[in-house]
Amino acid sequence: MMTDIRIDVAVIGAGPAGVAAGIGAREAGAEHVVVFERDWDLGGILQQCIHPGFGLHTFKEELTGPEYMHRWIERAHGAGVTFRTNTMVFRMEEDGSFWTMNPDEGIQHVHAGAVVLGMGCRERPLGAIRVPGSRPAGIYTAGTAQRFVNMEGYMPGNRVVVLGSGDIGLIMARRMMWEGASVEGVFEIMSWPGGLRRNIAQCLDDYDIPFHLDHTVTQVHGKDRLEGVTVAKVDANKKPILGTERFVACDTLLLAVGLIPENELSRMAGVQIHPVTGGPVVNQCLQTTRENVFAAGNVVIVYDLVDWVSAEGYKAGKNAALFALDGLPKATRRFDVRGGENVRLFSPQWLSDQEDATIFLRVTKPIEQRCRVTADHGLFSKTLRYARPGEMNEVHIKAEQLRMLPPDVREIIVDVEEE
Amino acid sequence: MGAVEVIQRLFDVIIIGAGIVGAALARELSAYAMRVAVLDKAAEIPSGASRANSAMIHAGYDDKPRTQKARFCPSGNRRFHELQGSLDFTLRECGSYVCAFEEDEIRHLDVLLDQGRRNGVPGMEIISGDTLRDREPHASREIRAALWAPSGAIVNNFEAVVAFMDNAQQNGVELFLETQATGLLCSEEKQEVFGVETTKGRFLAPVVINAAGVHAGEISRMAGEESVRIRPTRGEYFITDKTVGHLVKGFFFACPSTKGKGITVASTAEHNLLIGPTSTPQTDLEDTSTTMKGLEEVLDGARKLVPDIPPGAAITSFAGVRANTLSGDFNIAVLRKPRGFVNVAGIKSPGFTSAPAIALHVVEMLREELSDRVIMTPNPRFVPERTHIPRFAELSMEEREALVRRDPRFAQIVCRCETVTEAQVVEAIRRGARTVAAVKIWTRAGAGRCQGGFCGPRVADILARELGIPLEEVTRHGGHSRLLVGRTKEYWFRGNE
Ligand SMILES: Cc1cc2nc3c(=O)[nH]c(=O)nc-3n(C[C@H](O)[C@H](O)[C@H](O)COP(=O)(O)OP(=O)(O)OC[C@H]3O[C@@H](n4cnc5c(N)ncnc54)[C@H](O)[C@@H]3O)c2cc1C
Ligand SMILES: Cc1cc2nc3c(=O)[nH]c(=O)nc-3n(C[C@H](O)[C@H](O)[C@H](O)COP(=O)(O)OP(=O)(O)OC[C@H]3O[C@@H](n4cnc5c(N)ncnc54)[C@H](O)[C@@H]3O)c2cc1C
Repeated sequence: MMTDIRIDVAVIGAGPAGVAAGIGAREAGAEHVVVFERDWDLGGILQQCIHPGFGLHTFKEELTGPEYMHRWIERAHGAGVTFRTNTMVFRMEEDGSFWTMNPDEGIQHVHAGAVVLGMGCRERPLGAIRVPGSRPAGIYTAGTAQRFVNMEGYMPGNRVVVLGSGDIGLIMARRMMWEGASVEGVFEIMSWPGGLRRNIAQCLDDYDIPFHLDHTVTQVHGKDRLEGVTVAKVDANKKPILGTERFVACDTLLLAVGLIPENELSRMAGVQIHPVTGGPVVNQCLQTTRENVFAAGNVVIVYDLVDWVSAEGYKAGKNAALFALDGLPKATRRFDVRGGENVRLFSPQWLSDQEDATIFLRVTKPIEQRCRVTADHGLFSKTLRYARPGEMNEVHIKAEQLRMLPPDVREIIVDVEEE
Repeated sequence: MGAVEVIQRLFDVIIIGAGIVGAALARELSAYAMRVAVLDKAAEIPSGASRANSAMIHAGYDDKPRTQKARFCPSGNRRFHELQGSLDFTLRECGSYVCAFEEDEIRHLDVLLDQGRRNGVPGMEIISGDTLRDREPHASREIRAALWAPSGAIVNNFEAVVAFMDNAQQNGVELFLETQATGLLCSEEKQEVFGVETTKGRFLAPVVINAAGVHAGEISRMAGEESVRIRPTRGEYFITDKTVGHLVKGFFFACPSTKGKGITVASTAEHNLLIGPTSTPQTDLEDTSTTMKGLEEVLDGARKLVPDIPPGAAITSFAGVRANTLSGDFNIAVLRKPRGFVNVAGIKSPGFTSAPAIALHVVEMLREELSDRVIMTPNPRFVPERTHIPRFAELSMEEREALVRRDPRFAQIVCRCETVTEAQVVEAIRRGARTVAAVKIWTRAGAGRCQGGFCGPRVADILARELGIPLEEVTRHGGHSRLLVGRTKEYWFRGNE
């Protein structure tokens, strides 16, 4: 018969969010905390991020992805977190229990006092952005290519075009160059880069890799192996402009066209998913619409800084433990968060008056001048030198501030405005 | 270059092409004690039209009575239902609707109804737009009437081809992949055929059957028969993610026009939405590229039938090439000259549906018209059943547990989107999968939301391990479609030379 397992807090995924959630849960007093990870190793996507740039906020030094995770994993072991690797969570029930599987223990049914979702995100494939053409070998998402090169030691190709300017794409453009490939260019359909400016400078400019904004790939060519792509400039409606098409020969197309939170399990559990973020609707305790299910990291909203992911993971783990032990303090008031005109997405979607809150948001388009990120009712205001879609902004609100709001206030609007 | 080695192999029957027609025929011939070879130029099957189509098992009302299509389509439909259990492929009874928006289209439904009845299609009726919407709440409000045909079904076309061929192989048929027919071996003045010249040597047999899909014209010309003129016509499609698969239950057709059956919307056997195809004549026989224009046309057409389809739900697109002919009908015949050569050509839609019935018919033709060249005695070891590799994702927890106890590799997930395990991938390779695409055909690994982003490298690892080849030699779909070009750092060593 299949085994039933009972624990206090279960965490799904051992990336930065999940590892920190494990620590948070133990440090908040949960006895039996288990993190389930389908990969052979801990660390999530950071295992393959061998470039430096992680942990400036947390450790005040620039670490590589694996170094950064190593510190957190050590801390988790010290805190008494149990890890189960090579263990896939493949089904979740509405009561929050779930099913795991691995070759040693077979299938198990896990029942936990509270669950933290930390499944991260996946990369958007080519079909999803509807690039027409043939389907030869040589088309990879940047993350898949990164895994081949950084973890397995194989070259996916020699002559590379990158579509999209998400951070992974930028980092892979440089990596492929380092490994001796030629990089023909990075093409981005928007009028601004998808990734961090820092990565544009360090990964493209420093290596003279051409970067084309307002461009897209309109056709893929080649039967067996990729032979080239047609690229074109796009107009204001993102439609290719006739006459601007040109052929770029290449044997590899890397896609960095967006990340999608990985929420199949969340859906099975009946957790409400936000249509814009693609992640669960949560409050500042990272509690989803199922009260015993919490979520943190890229599964909620795609982050660009891992320090925030770890911090949010810790918080989710702590609150999951408190929930499992004696329940979280009930909200006496509840505020819906709304995004203002310049805000594309944000999380959490609602606040309780019992906890301090951090709201993460991204702007719709770049504001290249002094601006202010605000929460209305005078709750928060901070001046920024600029705001860009590739870089998340934060709003901090104290629980006391929320409790002092006039009784008719039910909604808080966050926005970014030019000064 | 070494000396060219001429390999000669001896068979009773050679089938050129392992699409649904070749596969179904191979399976029927495997009931007889004879040596059958199936040759296909591709590295995995299906690869031609049988790979990229609407996967509809048509009821059979579309075709004019007394045509070969009208004859084989309804009987092929019945045969698919009969064989589903014994050959273990996925067939979903869903029924089909032809939707009429305008007055003349409503009149055309009567024509189809009458045609269907004459072809022997069971259970058809014309229903009102409101009745349609009671059954299918997402159907457009503009649809005024629809022709309902309950025997229409959706097949997993990959599984069906593989199932027929797998069963044929279990019964002794030999399949030769990456083996392209380049010429026919005939006696003087093409009186008789005695074999096929291929890229892998010579295959000898007194009977050669042309089931080469869009290439049937070329093969027929090798026999000196010019009448098979294929006019390749491309059809482009989208597949959406499973989250919108519930929008329709039945198979939706727009009312047919001169351009073909028009854009359709259907929930596939695996509950993704399939929308398409376009119909664009082209000169190239192989070009299965999709185009921006084609995909827009598909989306517009589909949203006319089912307005709730979200434009962003596509996970992939593909195209197939129809083997259309001038006559519009199948061309199935034993040639007088060269004797021993059989055309099963011009197999356009509803060719998939018709294939199992065509196969039975060809067996009869061999028995009646070519008895001087083949002897058809029953195969004493013929087993008419086969089972597919366990579909782990579809099993109950108890069934999964039992599999895992039998083989722990069933607990090792390879493709997380479709829940495909290592044991399934290994079994696919044991049954003949040699490429990443073949593993996907057999198991659905890589067919889900992330389109192989996650499992691609893992499938490649398992292929390399099981086949005992370096990872760099693993291909996506044979030929030059290698996934990787070499090891990292090689460049630096090269640079130092
Ligand atoms: C390629 C890449 C490069 C980046 N570069 C930088 C950078 O330079 N600097 C920076 O600060 N940030 C960077 N980031 C951002 C940061 O690393 C991510 O935001 C962070 O890794 C997200 O952590 P996570 O725990 O939410 O998700 P992940 O790291 O993706 O971890 C999720 C984990 O869950 C596991 N999992 C998923 N589903 C299941 C299941 N069903 N059962 C069991 N386990 C499961 C996965 O295997 C994985 O280990 C980068 C991100 C990516 C993708
Ligand atoms: C867009 C589209 C939609 C369709 N929708 C439907 C539908 O919904 N229902 C339906 O019933 N039918 C449908 N059809 C028709 C159906 O797909 C075809 O009739 C059927 O698949 C034809 O099968 P086949 O075996 O004849 O050809 P194919 O499947 O094309 O097989 C031919 C095989 O021959 C091989 N070959 C070719 N030349 C050589 C050579 N020289 N040497 C060795 N091998 C060779 C090829 O590699 C290929 O594998 C559709 C077709 C298209 C294109």
